[in-house]
Amino acid sequence: MGDLKVILKDTRKHLMTGVSYMIPFVVAGGILLALSVLLTGKAGVPEKGMLKDLFFIGVAGFTLMIPILAGFIGFSIADRPAIAPAAIAAYVGNEMGAGFFGALIAGLLAGIVVHYLKKIKVPNVMKSIMPIFVIPIIGTFIVAGAMKWGIGGPIAALTASLTAWLQGMQSSSIILLAIIIGLMEAFDMGGPVNKVAYAFVIMTISQGIYNIAGISAVGVCVPPIGMGLATLLAPKKYSGEEREAGKAALLMGCIGITEGAIPFAAADPLKVIPSIMVGAAAGCTSAALFGVTNMAAWGGLIVLPVITGKIGFVISIAIGATVTALMVNALKKIKVVGAEDTSKKSASEEIELSFED
Amino acid sequence: MKIVAVTACPSGVAHTYMSAEALERAAKAKGITIKVETQGSIGIENRLTVEEIMEADMVILTKDIGIKEEERFNGKKIVRVGVSDAVKKADQIIEKIEAHLNSKK
Repeated sequence: MGDLKVILKDTRKHLMTGVSYMIPFVVAGGILLALSVLLTGKAGVPEKGMLKDLFFIGVAGFTLMIPILAGFIGFSIADRPAIAPAAIAAYVGNEMGAGFFGALIAGLLAGIVVHYLKKIKVPNVMKSIMPIFVIPIIGTFIVAGAMKWGIGGPIAALTASLTAWLQGMQSSSIILLAIIIGLMEAFDMGGPVNKVAYAFVIMTISQGIYNIAGISAVGVCVPPIGMGLATLLAPKKYSGEEREAGKAALLMGCIGITEGAIPFAAADPLKVIPSIMVGAAAGCTSAALFGVTNMAAWGGLIVLPVITGKIGFVISIAIGATVTALMVNALKKIKVVGAEDTSKKSASEEIELSFED
Repeated sequence: MKIVAVTACPSGVAHTYMSAEALERAAKAKGITIKVETQGSIGIENRLTVEEIMEADMVILTKDIGIKEEERFNGKKIVRVGVSDAVKKADQIIEKIEAHLNSKK
């Protein structure tokens, strides 16, 4: 049971590893799919020719994201032998409607099952057939079987009700969700909290819901674009280094990299972090009100081609960035005696290190 | 004192490289030798050699996603940090490692 505890303690790391391998599938699939719809010139699936093929290339990317996610969650736990059982089980689950959650569970279950299968003692002659024969067959049978004959149904029901809830969200609840997404994505600028929001967005895309991704596309780029804008509006408040970082941040924001805001947050967290959070929430709310939709699991101006509601999208980014820039520059005007020292100290909350040696 | 490190983050485009840079800067400021391998979405870059790992007094590994080929560090002194922490608090991390290693002498 000790083993199980060790595995589950690192659950977050395993899930994130899976997500990290999955991202290119979602991005490639989503953008190509959306491009094919865009180039058709009307809202709908392309009906013929190259565009229809492009559409299916995009769909292929999307379909593969589920087994890949599970496969690499399993890989993170129990290395290569876990990939097949996890991926196959996730695919089976997806056919039943278990989607994203099914993939997460298939990955974890396969990782755990294969971990224990690897421990079975076999005579030396059998050792070489374990990883390519015995473990894949038995592992897949157990995990995919569990999915098909056991947990797949309940997970599918859960997914269906969550999807229905998201689809039916009244305008006021969508705004609340938009605010939360904006706050989370700005809070740690690409860190763990941001990634949880991002995983949620990927899940909604896998269920065919595209307005959340539209909201998120604004949220991830407001912090860096906002801070870049802030350095342009009030250059005297920023050091030479920060003004350079501002230019880089504008660029990073355009390609959807929230991390561009990090140098500013590190230098002056008490004024920067609230400003980017409020700005992101404002931008996200605006995107929700405009009904922006986005089929790609990425953000920033770079996904503009595959956005529906382009004008609303750009306006939302502008709103969010302006709110951030004005707020942070206003806060920077406030000089409290001794604040210079304390802001540096509060930036370095004690970090806990544990050494394995 | 010699440190080696491996950084990797989920999207593999930003934090991976920012944390590597931050750790390098922090160690250089203290005159500590450091080499950081990055495992971004493009793959492994600046790969640590067997000698570099052997000679290292401490190994820093980020803990947000699995590190590839972690077996290379079996038996070494390891410290795990979040990749966000490595970006923002690299100086603190290097300081604490220095203190820990000095106290063990």
